[in-house]
Amino acid sequence: MKDRAGWRLYLPLGLMLLFLLLPFYWMVLTSLKTRNELLNTPNPWWVFHPSINSFISLLTQTQYPQWFLNTLFVSVGATVLSIVVSFCAAFAIVRLKFRGARVLSTAIFFSYVVPPAILFIPLAAVLVKLHWFDKLWALIPIYATFLVPFCTWLLIGFLRSIPRELEEAALVDGASWPRIMIKVILPLSVPGLISATIFSFTLSWNEYLYALIYMFSSANKTISVGLTTELMRGDVFQWGQLMAGSLLGTLPVVLVYFFFVEYYVAGMSGALKD
Amino acid sequence: MSDISRRALLQMTAAGALAAGAGIGPVFAEAYKPMLPIEKGASLQLLRWTGFIDADDKQWKANTEAFTKATGVNVTIQDVSWTDIQAKSGLSAQIGSGPDVVMGFYDTPFIYPDKLVDVSDVCTYLEKKYDGFYDVAKSYGYDDKTKTWIAVPMGGPGACVTYRESWLKEAGFDSFPTDFDGMLKAARALKKNNHPIGLALGHAVGDANAWVHTVLWGFGGKQVDENNKVVINSKETHEALKYAKALYETMIPGTGSWLDVNNNQAFLAGQISMTINGISIWYVAKQKFPEMFPDIRTAPVPVGPVGHPTNFNLFSQAFIFKYSKYPNAAKEYLRFMNEAPQVAPWVTGMVGYVTPALKAYSKLPIWTENPNITPYRDVLVGNYADGYAGSPGRAAATALNDFIVVNMFADACAHGASPEDAAKRAEEKLKQIYNA
Repeated sequence: MKDRAGWRLYLPLGLMLLFLLLPFYWMVLTSLKTRNELLNTPNPWWVFHPSINSFISLLTQTQYPQWFLNTLFVSVGATVLSIVVSFCAAFAIVRLKFRGARVLSTAIFFSYVVPPAILFIPLAAVLVKLHWFDKLWALIPIYATFLVPFCTWLLIGFLRSIPRELEEAALVDGASWPRIMIKVILPLSVPGLISATIFSFTLSWNEYLYALIYMFSSANKTISVGLTTELMRGDVFQWGQLMAGSLLGTLPVVLVYFFFVEYYVAGMSGALKD
Repeated sequence: MSDISRRALLQMTAAGALAAGAGIGPVFAEAYKPMLPIEKGASLQLLRWTGFIDADDKQWKANTEAFTKATGVNVTIQDVSWTDIQAKSGLSAQIGSGPDVVMGFYDTPFIYPDKLVDVSDVCTYLEKKYDGFYDVAKSYGYDDKTKTWIAVPMGGPGACVTYRESWLKEAGFDSFPTDFDGMLKAARALKKNNHPIGLALGHAVGDANAWVHTVLWGFGGKQVDENNKVVINSKETHEALKYAKALYETMIPGTGSWLDVNNNQAFLAGQISMTINGISIWYVAKQKFPEMFPDIRTAPVPVGPVGHPTNFNLFSQAFIFKYSKYPNAAKEYLRFMNEAPQVAPWVTGMVGYVTPALKAYSKLPIWTENPNITPYRDVLVGNYADGYAGSPGRAAATALNDFIVVNMFADACAHGASPEDAAKRAEEKLKQIYNA
């Protein structure tokens, strides 16, 4: 009976794992293959003559290190900005009882579902007025436009799960609202904040459309834009370098998930309870 | 008689090529005299496609630096993937800000002609000096409605037949056939010897569009007539689809989902014996596949029953937005980049990947340096523009972007539709686009 339960659990899990990890396996394989092995191999699922040439040429013959730093700068900046704004917004909506708070929280969520492809032209008009075109740091507030709505919605759900008695006790003790927010609610919100941080960081790291459209010079390219513009030349793709770049590009996100996955789950489930 | 003799062109281009080879930039820069008064303190932003061959980008940059040296105008180049150009330039047109100069593809300038600077002076000058533009080049730059040039035609990364000589000989052919019937016979013989051919039928912007339009037009079919009336559902189109279906049966499986990159890979992997492509396969093989390289040959795309070439190639032009603060500097830049001392090393460096729009450049020495480069010299002769036989513009661009003709061929070849049904479906979609 126990064995059968194991089968029922591990077979779907195993299939799911295979499905999810296959692209990474393919990415690793391709990045380690030589040019000839990329095109002609008796078994495409294995590397017979592994080589790190693709990694070396990626790091020495392209501007990949610069793209990596740009992506890191923008992702960290956008994440920090979004989390600060979202936490304040969520706190105000959940804890400060004001008329329309409920409607506002729904409206914030709906603003998240507007596709970036629809927003990029009006957003561009705003950037032109502000003279923010081709400024790398401008991507930080731009990314916040789609990060803040979701993070706020997520944190609203999480903050609702924190008992009101805690802040009421603090109020009785004479604490102000800002003090309650920082000293009482913030420490209890860490799982939710980590969840929102991971979400924001991942979306910023992978973003393509805005980075492509709003940045002009080569020095301001992010990884996703750099790889497609420099390594996909018309009908000739540098597959080895492309896969090496994609693999290195996923590492920061993988590391973030690896260390904080439990908080991520806790944060998401806190939001879903709402 | 053109204003520039063959001897003069060769002298200028040889000097340019030599200078570029020596790493000192084109000598023409020293003697360059602007035709227009360049705005004080001018600087330019250029949006262009990443070169299909790295030598393209390098020489373009060197030529741009020479322009800066000659005029003092600094030019910032932004390279993006060729498929992203239209989105970026479209955004600039919408918001009235962005790059001064854009190198686009096909009939992009005709989507927003009123937002572009009249470049008739530059084009007229270049036409006179370099034997004129090819007809197809003119159709991508000259606005018939306003009788002005709205873009400077640059050139086309042309498509030719690329094949394995030894396999073709084994199949009983000494050279690649020059007509559609011969191509089908050769393809069948190659398939019989277990060497299938491969032509893209997925949403490959360059490769799929190139061969299906050539076949369509080669049988006399067209999507619209001269008045932009949809005429795709015709006997000629049905014949073209039947021919394509027969050709498809000689292809390697999977071409129905091929993109631009797939035929290059399959050819270099030795999986296919023939494809229609730019010179990139030959160029990459020369650099990285020395064993296969001596067996690779190129040939002009065969001619259909209409009896003359009906090629369709990628084509790039350059246009200047009216919001640019420095239109004269931008015009001078485009003129400079189209002069012989710049064009010669550019085309030579990329072994003719882009065939220049000006006829005089068919005399460049690179075209006869190797017989496999020569077919690419003439790819713009007998070309039609997208949306043939109608006028360029938003409808033609939409039809091309939506892959209407490619999808029609894919339906008939790979998705089991009859030629009549495939043509009818295309007709309905084209009517929606052209009647909108």
